[in-house]
Amino acid sequence: MKRGLLVRAAAFAALSLLAVSCGARYGMPDPASKQGEATLDLWNVFMIAGIVVALIVYGLIAWSIIRYRRRRSDPEGARGASFRENLPLEIVYTVIPIVIVVGLFFLSVGTENEVTAVAPDPDLVVNVEAFAWGWRFTYPEQGVEVVSEPVGNDDAVGEGPELVLPSGQTTRIVLTSNDTIHAFWVPGFLFKRDAIPGRTTEFDVTPTTEGTYHGACAELCGWNHAYMTFHVTVVSPEEFAAWTASQSASSAVLPATSPSPEEAAA
Amino acid sequence: MSTAAAAARREHSGVVSWLTSTDHKKIGVLYCVTAFAFFLVGGTLAGMMRLELADPGRAFFEPGTYNGLFTIHGTVMIFLFVAPFGSGLANYLIPLQIGAPDMAFPRLNLMSYWLFTSGGCLILLSGVASAGGGAQMGWYAYPPLSAGRMSPGVGPDIWILGLGLVAVAAVMTAVNIVTTVFLYRAPGMTMWRLPIFTWNMVIVSILGLVAFPPALAGFALLFLERRMGGLAFAPAAGGDPVIFQHLFWFLGHPEVYILILPFFGVITEIIPVFSRKPLFGYTGFVLATLAIGALSTGVWAHHMFTTGAVDNPFFAAMTLLIAVPTGVKFFNWTGSMWGGKIVFPTAMLFSIGFLLNFLIGGVTGVMLAAPAIDFHAADSYFLVAHFHYTMMGGAVFGIFAAIYFWYPKMTGRMLRERMGKAVFALMFIGFNVTFWPQFEAGLRGMPRRVVDYPANAGYETPNLLSSLGYVVMAVGVLFFLADLWVSKRKPVEAGDDPWDGYSLEWATTSPPPEHNFDAIPPIRSERPAFDLHHEGADG
Repeated sequence: MKRGLLVRAAAFAALSLLAVSCGARYGMPDPASKQGEATLDLWNVFMIAGIVVALIVYGLIAWSIIRYRRRRSDPEGARGASFRENLPLEIVYTVIPIVIVVGLFFLSVGTENEVTAVAPDPDLVVNVEAFAWGWRFTYPEQGVEVVSEPVGNDDAVGEGPELVLPSGQTTRIVLTSNDTIHAFWVPGFLFKRDAIPGRTTEFDVTPTTEGTYHGACAELCGWNHAYMTFHVTVVSPEEFAAWTASQSASSAVLPATSPSPEEAAA
Repeated sequence: MSTAAAAARREHSGVVSWLTSTDHKKIGVLYCVTAFAFFLVGGTLAGMMRLELADPGRAFFEPGTYNGLFTIHGTVMIFLFVAPFGSGLANYLIPLQIGAPDMAFPRLNLMSYWLFTSGGCLILLSGVASAGGGAQMGWYAYPPLSAGRMSPGVGPDIWILGLGLVAVAAVMTAVNIVTTVFLYRAPGMTMWRLPIFTWNMVIVSILGLVAFPPALAGFALLFLERRMGGLAFAPAAGGDPVIFQHLFWFLGHPEVYILILPFFGVITEIIPVFSRKPLFGYTGFVLATLAIGALSTGVWAHHMFTTGAVDNPFFAAMTLLIAVPTGVKFFNWTGSMWGGKIVFPTAMLFSIGFLLNFLIGGVTGVMLAAPAIDFHAADSYFLVAHFHYTMMGGAVFGIFAAIYFWYPKMTGRMLRERMGKAVFALMFIGFNVTFWPQFEAGLRGMPRRVVDYPANAGYETPNLLSSLGYVVMAVGVLFFLADLWVSKRKPVEAGDDPWDGYSLEWATTSPPPEHNFDAIPPIRSERPAFDLHHEGADG
């Protein structure tokens, strides 16, 4: 009777949790990219599985502690039950976790493949070079380059250069570093990748929501690591085209073609 | 002077007798006390970090100094506190638990203690007193950051040497433990009757023998690169910094099990004793620990998911699998309490606190095992919270449980239970207030190892809570020190077996004589002391 109640209470708690969780993010940022949405779905599965497992284990521990505490009525040297093992039970509690983690494994591989897939023909390519302590974003086809100001003042945390991306289009990020290991992290995309000197790594991001997102270096890279921040601004493809046009017109750093005499003079 | 008189003088000169004794019990206590002193240092460094991070903006430390704080904090807590405290307990307890008069190699034992202590002091020096800059490259010291150009001071060199000494000491202790347990067990003490703490230390020692040599090779190559023109990790010369990460994490991941398994052992000794029951599923527990040991050598590259340079699914699979034997242990512990007559002295409270905290560390570990989730959470405060739930909420709570459980055996005196319960309450609340908010800060996007963070990005409340929680924990530790002092000033006799214990150390005096046992009781089960004190009982 008492146990039946407990089981029903646990089932109710689990079900209401699942109900609440539709649309929940459990602390994750609202994903602003297609890849981030896939990661969020996986996260929710892991989170629900984790909460259910934790509730069961906590429930068992709480039950043991409360139900099987020594009471005032027990004699001083009272001893508990003397059972030492229960093979069928032990097999059950070994096999069930194996089934759970095998399931989680296949889900996680599926999501990882989705998140790290690179399109054969991306809409845009941006070369990202990390250095101590800043970022260089180069748009080779558009002839645009954005570089960090040298870092060194305390106001710089959370500031930094702007990486402008068109929404709804797939951008290939080609990432490298020219000194030590950094990591390119945009929490809004739920994604980071290490920038390792001597290696080039590529991934795609397909932003879905216009807006400004903060980014940071996530791998310790020395003195000004905390100040190696940047922003990602996602705009409509039209605004993006206008932005690249204005940038290549004014950019003297890395023009796509040789500047005309007028531009060079300006 | 006659040799007898010289021997007598040696025996009676307090401090010297402690520092030169090859008695495993004295070495064990030395290890524990030294490790605890390092804990106080590492904890103070953590307090300095929480001070800086309590609110946004930079208030106290230069970025480089701050980097030194977490570098030394991490190194101290891992290599100079938790792991050596486990070695100390092992030194003290293993010969007692298996019915041996001492460790197999007493002099090697003392030497490993001295290497550990000198290495530890070097590591502390590397953070502060180093010309040209201290060790500020994080406890895993990735090149190129840790190579000469970006870390030119002598600090990192001293740090590498110190860590080398500590690693050699760890290997020596591992050899000693394995030999002792395999060869010095009393008649009747079969492997399947070994106390779980001793079993776990055997597996920890084997892991140490497997994992330390590659890391030493990595550090040697790093030292060559820093001082002698080595190029193994220099990309410009065709080297690859990722190789260092492999060498390091091939130690680093077994290392976390080297840190936690001793304290799995500790709470497995404590929970059945205070549940007044035998351990539930002894055989399954040992097999699970063996499985953890084996799997832990195949999970290292889950620290490298974001490099894009490793086979993520393989390491994800291995990492997820290791959750299974860990889960089995939770059922062993719960099953040991089920049907008991549980009492709750401080040692039991810390053991239950261990279960509650470690579960969260384990569940978040499963989340981080999924590469896609790791792509977001790696190197964020989520990760910081995760491993503190395992290492602090788990291992450190296990250390306090061990102290409250075995202090009476080591000294013959009791600690104060009421103070102990206050210590537990403060530590448990303080710990969770400190680290739970860090999960949230990390998911929102706060990277680890930053001296400063932007205002109005959702990081302020979690960080303030973390800093307040630290204060509560620090008060708990002060209470604990007060408890030690009070128990010394106004001793309360412990007696030989204050807890109605199971393993063999409770069958000798408190503290035990130098030769450990006047007579070894018959060993007919995994609970010889219990059998001795409860002739014919079955509970």
